[in-house]
Amino acid sequence: MGDPFGMPIAHCAASGMGGIRTAGDMVARMQMLRYRLKDAKDYVAKKLETDTMALRDEFEMRRLRERLNIGTITGVPGVARGLEAKARIAEILGIRINAVERLKELVKL
Amino acid sequence: MSSEEALKKLYDAIFAQDVEAASKAANDCVAAGLDPLKALEAASKAMTDLGNLFERGEVFLPQVVVAADAMKAAAQVLLSKLPTKPSKAGRVLIGTVEGDVHDVGKGIVSVLLDAAGFEVIDIGRDVPTKVFVEKVKELKPNIVGCSALMTVTRVGQKAVIDALAKEGIRDQVKVMVGGGATTGVWAEEIGADAWGEDGPDSVRKAKKLLGITE
Amino acid sequence: MDYLTRMGDGRPVRMSKEQIKADIEAGTKDAAEKAHVPELSGAEQEHLLEIITDPNRLVAVEPGREVVLTHDVGPLKVMADQSNSGVSIPCSREQAMCIYEKAFSADTAELGHIDYSFKPVKPIITQEQSVLQNVLHMTILPIFYGAMPNLGLYYAPDGPFPEPIGLIKDRKIGEAKESMENAAHRFVEDLEYITVRLYEVGLDALNIDTTGAGGDADFYASLTATEKIKKECPYLCVEMGMAGEFILGFHTELKYQGVKLAGLWPHQQASLAEKAGVDIFGPVVNTKPSLSFPLNIARAVTLVKHCVKESKIPIHVNMGMGVGGIPMYETPPVDAVTRASKAMVEIAEVDGL
Repeated sequence: MGDPFGMPIAHCAASGMGGIRTAGDMVARMQMLRYRLKDAKDYVAKKLETDTMALRDEFEMRRLRERLNIGTITGVPGVARGLEAKARIAEILGIRINAVERLKELVKL
Repeated sequence: MSSEEALKKLYDAIFAQDVEAASKAANDCVAAGLDPLKALEAASKAMTDLGNLFERGEVFLPQVVVAADAMKAAAQVLLSKLPTKPSKAGRVLIGTVEGDVHDVGKGIVSVLLDAAGFEVIDIGRDVPTKVFVEKVKELKPNIVGCSALMTVTRVGQKAVIDALAKEGIRDQVKVMVGGGATTGVWAEEIGADAWGEDGPDSVRKAKKLLGITE
Repeated sequence: MDYLTRMGDGRPVRMSKEQIKADIEAGTKDAAEKAHVPELSGAEQEHLLEIITDPNRLVAVEPGREVVLTHDVGPLKVMADQSNSGVSIPCSREQAMCIYEKAFSADTAELGHIDYSFKPVKPIITQEQSVLQNVLHMTILPIFYGAMPNLGLYYAPDGPFPEPIGLIKDRKIGEAKESMENAAHRFVEDLEYITVRLYEVGLDALNIDTTGAGGDADFYASLTATEKIKKECPYLCVEMGMAGEFILGFHTELKYQGVKLAGLWPHQQASLAEKAGVDIFGPVVNTKPSLSFPLNIARAVTLVKHCVKESKIPIHVNMGMGVGGIPMYETPPVDAVTRASKAMVEIAEVDGL
């Protein structure tokens, strides 16, 4: 509860990973598999072949997201969006993403 | 049985929510030659202590209700020995304001007020402002309590206060507000007489409004 | 010298360092006594004092200590038109999800129904499936579906079972308990029905939010539903967010895995949630509007720190308006919000907010 500036934006500025500006979405996916914060960051950093400080750094992650083609916060023609980016994230992290699995099954990939 | 023993038994019976034992303990207090008012103080202390445990999540609503019954059973015995019977602590009309269907918090407050000796008239949830006013005119409560869970519905509390003023009866009744969306600042802003932060706080404020010492 | 801080209702107030220190001590002591958990250490209290008295308007965690943010109330914060959350931006729910991803830099986003209760979702489940499919195609971040158990909707006049608080008041305690048990069982059936269908179209996670608002029966229902859902949807993440700092006892005898639910505090709630299959747990500590921000945040950090320490699953503390030390005000002051945020991360060491 509370307005967006007072809540999600203020929290993100103070302590948030940064979502798809950085690697917040991927660390979140590992927490959804019950990884505690440190373990989740370590896992993602290892899979992305970087260090945990880079996961929260806009400069490092912007370049890495473009290079890995896993989606960026501002539009870049040709860089993956939506489900395409998720499919690649699932592969890189070695995890199952339900929507990706469903698509694979439907199109028999 | 000594006076101290009799008082302890009375306290313990109410604290343990034992209606039968409370009535018996009250009779033992009378038999021990105790002043009924002193025995009533011990009984009230048991209710206050239970209220504190309720606030900490160690005692729950059904237990408070049964303890109130034990308190009433003891009071019935003790009050019959007094030359003049004290009346109820006061009459409280309570309801959730128009547009708001939440009544868990209001329910807790009304149970705790009842347990504290108030006569409580609960007029339900989503109560139209005009019904609050009609009931105040008809039942002449000492306090009217308006509950609201949401900030979007709490304006109904102001509507009740404004309507009471428009009818010229605002000074005849104290208005308390409470509920998840309310604060002391809000209560001040709308001209309420008191704000109940939670159940036990509402009882304390109601007593204060009517000049009843704990 | 004095410092600008807040009361729990958001009012600005100036306090001396000694006053702030005294309130921090009082807050941690109160939490420790009530929940039977350790007080904050002297060093932790000192760190909290530094955070509160920081001269800057906004504060933030040290680089490298950032945490994951999950979000509740679905798209309502963007779309709804009510003073305690929504800012009434006219848009679709799909657009609201994109706003979370791209404008708020959220780590996860939550889809939800405008009523934000599970019961009304059942008759419109196909609509929810369609919107969810759209959102899953458009977004990269994990998508949660969230709502409240809101057992109140299962009681008269909105539902089939008699209203239990009224029954308790009438001393019909047995009937009240029966009614709560019936409502809990009906909720479990409904949530299972809804979740299986959302999972079929690719849902990442379910958020059972404001659990326990209807007392111990509400918590019981949510735990039981989680257990069933995890069997049917093995790859679904379940997050459980609480409504209050301890479980209110309306039924009082309900147990889950042999543990009585009424009166449980956050660390005890998290343990049971983990056993039921919950993957991320969101404890709540209620802000007391009449007390100061220093006292409220000290209380909240004390309770949450112990919850984090005892838990085996990630802890995402609730940090919205009126909880987690945040003032109870519709436009939460950002000086207090960012201080609460930093304190929860650096002292309570939460996994997320």
